[in-house]
This record gives sequence, structure tokens and C-alpha cells, in this order.
Amino acid sequence: MTALTEQIALASDTRSSRTAPSKGLDRVFQLAALGSALLVLLVLAGILGSIIYGGWPAFREFGFGFITSSAWNVGSEQYGALVAVLGTLASAFLALLIGVPISIGIAIYLTQLCPGWARKPVAMTIELLASVPSIIYGMWGLFIFAPLFARYIQIPVSNVVEGLPIVGTILYARVPSGVGVLTAGIILAIMIVPFVASITRDMLDQIPTVLRESAYGIGCTTWEVVRHVLVPQASVSIIGAIMLGLGRALGETMAVTFVVGNANRLSASIFDPSSTIASRIANEFNEADGMQLNALMALGCLLFVITFIVLIIARLLTRRAKVA
Amino acid sequence: MSPTNSMSSALSGRNPADESAPVRIAVKDLNFYYGQFHGLKNVNLNFHDRQVTALIGPSGCGKSTLLRTFNRIYSLYPEQRATGQILLDGQNVLDAKVDLNELRARVGMVFQKPTPFPMSIYDNVAFGLRLYERLPKSELDGRVEDALRKAALWDEVKDKMKQAGTGLSGGQQQRLCIARSVAQRPEVILFDEPTSALDPISTGRIEELIEQLRTEFTIVIVTHNMQQAARISQFTAFMYLGELIEFAPTTKIFMNPDKRQTQDYITGRFG
Repeated sequence: MTALTEQIALASDTRSSRTAPSKGLDRVFQLAALGSALLVLLVLAGILGSIIYGGWPAFREFGFGFITSSAWNVGSEQYGALVAVLGTLASAFLALLIGVPISIGIAIYLTQLCPGWARKPVAMTIELLASVPSIIYGMWGLFIFAPLFARYIQIPVSNVVEGLPIVGTILYARVPSGVGVLTAGIILAIMIVPFVASITRDMLDQIPTVLRESAYGIGCTTWEVVRHVLVPQASVSIIGAIMLGLGRALGETMAVTFVVGNANRLSASIFDPSSTIASRIANEFNEADGMQLNALMALGCLLFVITFIVLIIARLLTRRAKVA
Repeated sequence: MSPTNSMSSALSGRNPADESAPVRIAVKDLNFYYGQFHGLKNVNLNFHDRQVTALIGPSGCGKSTLLRTFNRIYSLYPEQRATGQILLDGQNVLDAKVDLNELRARVGMVFQKPTPFPMSIYDNVAFGLRLYERLPKSELDGRVEDALRKAALWDEVKDKMKQAGTGLSGGQQQRLCIARSVAQRPEVILFDEPTSALDPISTGRIEELIEQLRTEFTIVIVTHNMQQAARISQFTAFMYLGELIEFAPTTKIFMNPDKRQTQDYITGRFG
């Protein structure tokens, strides 16, 4: 007992002999951290504010018609965002439609089926795909992919579906040039796959081994384990990954500008050229001034709003899934 | 050299081992390898029908490894392999031709931690049933209720069958997992330290439950808790460093073991 009290006394001795931490330095550190956090808010508010300011004349001039009109005429100064907004949504949606199943397939293969030795190389290749600059995707898409796509997909498919109801409209290319909304969707899909796949893989990896074993333990096949247990278990994170991919697809500029065709034409066919918000801005910013510049700024605002809505939907979806 | 008092109190009031019960699982010359590591060495052992057999021994002795051979769950990992024979009702489950999904429906397993699937309470139990049997809705409902009653969970969940299984308490989740196994009407149920993540009250309920399940199923349980082995098992196998040291009725293992090592382990001299 005495030994114990002695020890405690000894410990308090050492504590009192320590120099008190400098309060001032800590304060500086706290302020610096706060400043860094505030800076982000400031930059965001600044960008948003200046874009709204720049786009305001266009909104005032065309009102709600700016969103519903498909006109984009520099000569007569008539501007409407409909084609670009629809093109953006359509190409991003197609990218998800193509990219997400592939990404989930990759993640499942890597975590459940792949033999140990192949796991690293396959995962590395997919991550390398993420490091390819978007200009490369654009060039490759325009000069190599688009001609092949026109020759082997667009022309044969158009010949088959011509005159048929619905598919005859959606999958018919009036001018089979290879570029268009679907081409942009495919290139975007290639670009989002590495992100969605690697996040999904990480999430599947984090599922406890016992859960997987107990699913196999009641006699499930691999498909049943993946379909009913692993994917639902990771569903919240997978939705998050998909939304991240969607955000990237909506805002991607360079690659899309190359392959989307940059036509301001409202068409029901996904083979036809169109525009996205980002590609329109990238194409016209150089020579724009006056109302055209204002209209481009207003387009930028719309892109902001669209990505913001996507973010909110993602939040709502993941919250709902967590509760269930 | 007499066992501790707590142990004899745990032993009292148990059903005695029935050594004449037919053999459900016969393990013959079983060797197990994790890559190069020799995890089980020439294990020979019989598990009797409708008896609880406890596998005890210090960490790393191979008791979980042995358990995991009975439903071949180890074969999820390509570097693990077993040689020898494990006869389940005379059929060698180590045979490459055995249908693993069917085997795992016959040999249920409950893990250290509760593992409810990400679905409703009802679906957690019905899921395993739907895999193997096409049942009309009314019959499926009956089987689910029956399994939940056997797992002593029915009264607690009957009004919230549509709610997520993950919303239950730890002990309830573990009983849900037991119900999930029971619903498939297996022949054998394997328990791998089923109470190690549970509080004492939940542990007590699971132990009572295992006692009741014994009337219908052959049960093998791995446990670190020797009192638990004494309380709920009829037979006990003591393992050490991958070898089966001693197998006997639980009363004998705890009161009067043949081997010195067993004596030392149960009296807490090592392990």
C-alpha cells in the first residue's frame, strides 16, 4: 500500500515538473485550421456568386424560357438551354446505365471470385484507367472509337430498326458519323468505371468475413450470396459511389466535347449528335461576349444546380437506405 | 486434484451422456492444412445423435478448424484443405463430388458474432428455406413461425416481422441466426463460440436454447468457456496443438479425465 502511494506521488511529481503547453501556439493552430475551412466556403461562395452575376442578364432577358427553349442562335441573340440540359442528362444517364453494372461486376469479381494472384494486377489496371487524362479519352473517342462505332454499330443497327416504332426513333442515325449522345455516354462510362468499381470493391471488402461465411453456411451459391447479402449490405455505399460517378459524368468536359457532336438539335435518337452544358461552354467561351457570354454563364449556373440536385438526391437515398 | 466447485455445480443437473446413441458424424484420420501449416493431426472422433458435443482447448488448438470441416466452409479459401474422412450418416463430406450447397443445408452453422442478413426478420428466416424448397406462402409462414418458436424468439418478434433483422439486440440477432439454421431442418447444427459476443443474460438464453434444440438436432459447439461446456454438453473433446487429446462424456472429462494435459487445462493450469 505504501509503495503504491509513493508511486502516485512520484507520478504527480513528474507531471508538475513538465512545462505547460504553450496556449498561444495552440490558439494559432486552431485559427489556422478554422481559416482553411472558411477559405473553402469563401471560394465556393465566390464562384457561385460570380457565375450567378454573370448569368443574370440572360435569365432576366429570357426568363423561364431559357430552360424550356431549344434555340441557340448567336446571330439573332436567342439562347435556350434545353438541348444542352437534355444532352447532359442523357449522356450521364447512359454512362451510368453502361458503367454501373460493369463496375459492380468488376468489384464482385475482384472481391469474391478472383484468384489471389490475379487480384493485384486487375485492380491496378482499373486504377490506371482512372489516371488517363480526359483529353486522351476524347482523342481516342473521336479518331478511333467513333469511326468503328459508326461502321459496326450505328449503320447496321440503323438498317435493322429503320421504320420500327420507338426503337426506330431511339436507335436510328440520320447521319451515321459515330459521334453523338450514345458515344459520349460510352466514353463517360469508361471514365467512371474505375471510380465506381474501386469504391464498390473497398465497400465489399469491408463486409465482415463471418457475414459472408454465414451466407455460404446456409447453402447459398455465390450468386445468391452476392445478390441477397453482400450487395444489399453495401448498398448505401454503392449508391454513394454511383452518385460520385454521376457527378463526374455530368461535369466532364474535354472528352465529351470531342465525341458528343456539338449540334444544337433536339433529337429523340441517342445516335444523333447533341451538346452538353460543359461541351457548349468549352466550345463557345473563346469568342463569346455580350449576351452570348451571359447565356454561357447562365448555363454554368444550371450545371451547378443539376449537380447540386444530384448531391441532394444521393443524400436522401443513402439516408433512407440506412434507416431501412 | 479435484475439479473446482463452480465446475461441479455446472455439471450437476445435466442430462447424462447417452453413449449408445447412434453415431451421426464419424471423423476418421482427419488432417487439415492451412497452406503449409498442419492444423489438425490425425483426428479420430465420433459425434452421437442428439447429443451436445463441446470442443474445448486453448486458442489455436484446432477446435474451430475441426468444426469448419463439417460443412466444408473452409473450402471458400483455396489454400485450405483436408484429408481423411468425415462420414455424415455414412457419406463422406470431404468427397469432391459432394454438393456443398446441399451439405450446408444439412449442416447448419452459427458464428461467434450474430450475422443477420440485410433484410427483414421474416426474410432472414425464410431466405434459407426459399433456397431449397418451393413452399406455398401459408406453409412458409408456418415454417418461419415454427423456427422462431424453436429459437425462443417468436414472442419478441411476432409483431415486427417486416422490420430489419439488424435492428434487434445482439442476443436476439444470435437467436435469429439460430432460427435461420433451424428453419432448414438440418441434421447437425455447429456453434462456433456462439456466446462470445453476448452479455451473460443473452448467453444464458442461448444455452437454454441449445439444451432444447438437442432433442431434435445433433449439436457441436466450440467454446472457450469451460463452465459453458460443463453446463450444456453431454460429450467433451479436449484438443491441443491440432491433436485430439481426450474425448469422453463431459462428466468424465471434468471430474476424472484420463490425461494429465486435460486435467491441467480444466483446472486452469495452462491455456
